[in-house]
Order: sequence, then C-alpha cells, then structure tokens
Amino acid sequence: MAWLKEFTKGFIKENPVFVMALGLCPTLAVSSSVINAIGMGLAATFVLVFSNMFISLIKNLIPSKIRIPAYIVVIASFVTIVDMVMHAYLPAIHKSLGLFIPLIVVNCIILGRAEAFASKNNVFLSILDGLGMGLGFTLALVVIGSIREILGAGQFLGMNVLPATYKPMLVAILAPGAFIVMGLLMSLMNLTKKK
Amino acid sequence: MKYYLKLGFVLLIITVIASGILAYINTITQPIIERNQQIAQENARKEVLPAAISFEEVTGDPTYFIGIDSDDNIVGYTFVASLYGYSSNVETMVGINPEMVIEKIKIISQSETPGLGANCEKPEFQAQFSGKQKSDMKVNKDGGAIVSLTGATITTRTITNSIKTALNKLDIPIENTAEEVE
Repeated sequence: MAWLKEFTKGFIKENPVFVMALGLCPTLAVSSSVINAIGMGLAATFVLVFSNMFISLIKNLIPSKIRIPAYIVVIASFVTIVDMVMHAYLPAIHKSLGLFIPLIVVNCIILGRAEAFASKNNVFLSILDGLGMGLGFTLALVVIGSIREILGAGQFLGMNVLPATYKPMLVAILAPGAFIVMGLLMSLMNLTKKK
Repeated sequence: MKYYLKLGFVLLIITVIASGILAYINTITQPIIERNQQIAQENARKEVLPAAISFEEVTGDPTYFIGIDSDDNIVGYTFVASLYGYSSNVETMVGINPEMVIEKIKIISQSETPGLGANCEKPEFQAQFSGKQKSDMKVNKDGGAIVSLTGATITTRTITNSIKTALNKLDIPIENTAEEVE
C-alpha cells in the first residue's frame, strides 16, 4: 500500500503550506475568499499532476546539468495552458485570481515536487504525489479562505452565513488577516504533532 | 564542446515542442476570450442604457456608443470612463441620455482594497449616480453631490472624476452627432 501513502501524505503529514511552508505567496494573496481558494488550488493541482507526470516520463532523457531549465519549461507550459483555458471558460475566477495564475510557474511546491519526487520515481507514483500535494495545497487554501471569508465578510462561497447584525471583521480579508490566520493554523498543526 | 552542444539541443527540442502545443491551444482559446470580452461589454452597455436595442460605435477620444431604440431614435450614449484609483485602474461603463444626464453607471473593472474601495461594485453606491449631471460630479467631501464610500474617498473621487473628465470631452462630439441625425 506504499502508493496510497504517496497520495495521502500531502494532506496532513507533509502538507505543502502548513508543514513544508512552501507556496506561501499565493496562499496569502488568494485566500481572501473560498471561491478564489478553490480556483487557485485546482489550477495548481492540475499543473502539479501534469508536470510531475511529464517530468517523470522524460527524466532519463534530460541531462542532469540542464534539468532545472527543462523542468521550468515543462511547468511554464502547463501554467500557460491553465491560464488560457481559465481565461476562456472561467473568466470570472480568472479575473479575480489575476496575476497569481501566471505566478504558479514560480510556486516552489511545483518545482520542489519535480526535483524531489518526480525526477526519482515512476510515472504512477509521481501522478499520485502531484495529486496528493495539489489537493493538500487546495485544502490548506480552502481552510484559510473559509475562516477569512466568514470572519471578514460574514459569507461563505458568497452566501451570507452570519446574521445581518454581524459586523464583518475587515482585517480578516485584508493582508494582515492572511498572516494571522495562517500563523494560528500553523501553530495549531505543530501543537497537535507534539502530543 | 560536443557535450555542451548536446545540452543546448535537448533544451531546443523541449522548447520547440512546448511552444508548438501552446500555439495550438492559443488558437482554440483566443477567439473564445475575445468573444467573452465583447459579450461582457455589450451586456454592460445594455445595462446602463436599457432603452437602447442597438449600439453604433463612434471611435475617438473617448470612444463612445450611440444607443438607438426600435424607432431609430437616439436614446442616449454609453462610454467607458477610466482612471487610476487607490490600487488599480477603475473602469466604469456610463450611460447618459441625450441631455447629458446620467442614466446609470456600472463598474466593469477594478481591484481596489477588498471591503473598502471594492465596495464601489455595490449597487447602492452605483445607484446614486443615476439622474446626476456633469455639474454634480463632485464628492461630498469636496462639496459635491456624490456620497463617498466609507474609508474609500480616493476610489469614489476617482470614479467621479473619471466620469466628469469623460463628460467634458464628450460635450462637443455629442452635440454634433445630434445635429447630424436631425
């Protein structure tokens, strides 16, 4: 059952955001609402799965001296595909994610998984690793996004969930709120791990 | 030497394949993206000038559209007013009637501060522009008629000023088109 572990490790044990602290820039920037979090998470998951798959396929053909530029070309191509497809079919989410879709190219999670996992493992395990890590990233974004959207706007997925008398805590959807919420969640993760 | 040529060659092959795939996908998505943008503009025009059933484009500075109803009468004009606000370019679609009174406005593009400037997309804020004229285009803090958003005076001022500037520029061309039609 080794393959199952490669899939599930990204959720909690090696969660890219909370445990490895990778890809924090997009995490902080797009987690102001749940829908943005889901859009960003799924876009990154798509790129992770396909770049892991491709890099695992061609790993023996690439001389090790030029592996990093080769990986970046593969990753950048998939990111551009995601960018164009989202622009065409999901214009609303594409607009609110803005610059952060092209910036998936420099998301350390993706290059990190390519270098640490896909270049050493077979295609099947690499796809599972990419999928697990991508969903772990999405999970982290959605958790942060839910807390920030509920506290900061009194909404969840754009629907009002708190009574109208609730005065939104504006700071939660501004930049400082992102740092505070993420810091608290990280410390919570560390607390449970120590016990 | 031969080894380094090989490295370059491998990278060349990878980039050629990648750009080929991207070019192909671009030919599929490009027309859809352009059509989406056109539809979005068209819908925004209809929203700010509901009486019009078709629009005629007049290119210039600024480019504006003449709204025409089913009896070929000019019912108004629409244009996009744009100015840099607090943290982004704010674009507003404005519909005016032939007497230069604002029918309705709609913010079509902005990325101002969430919770503050971004509230300019709320209908309550945009509704106050309806029925106003060029002379009303001033924020209440500057002694005008537009009630500014809480904590976002700059955004409010940006929208107000962009509309005022555009209305100033439009004065003469609109008078001319009205005469031509009569």
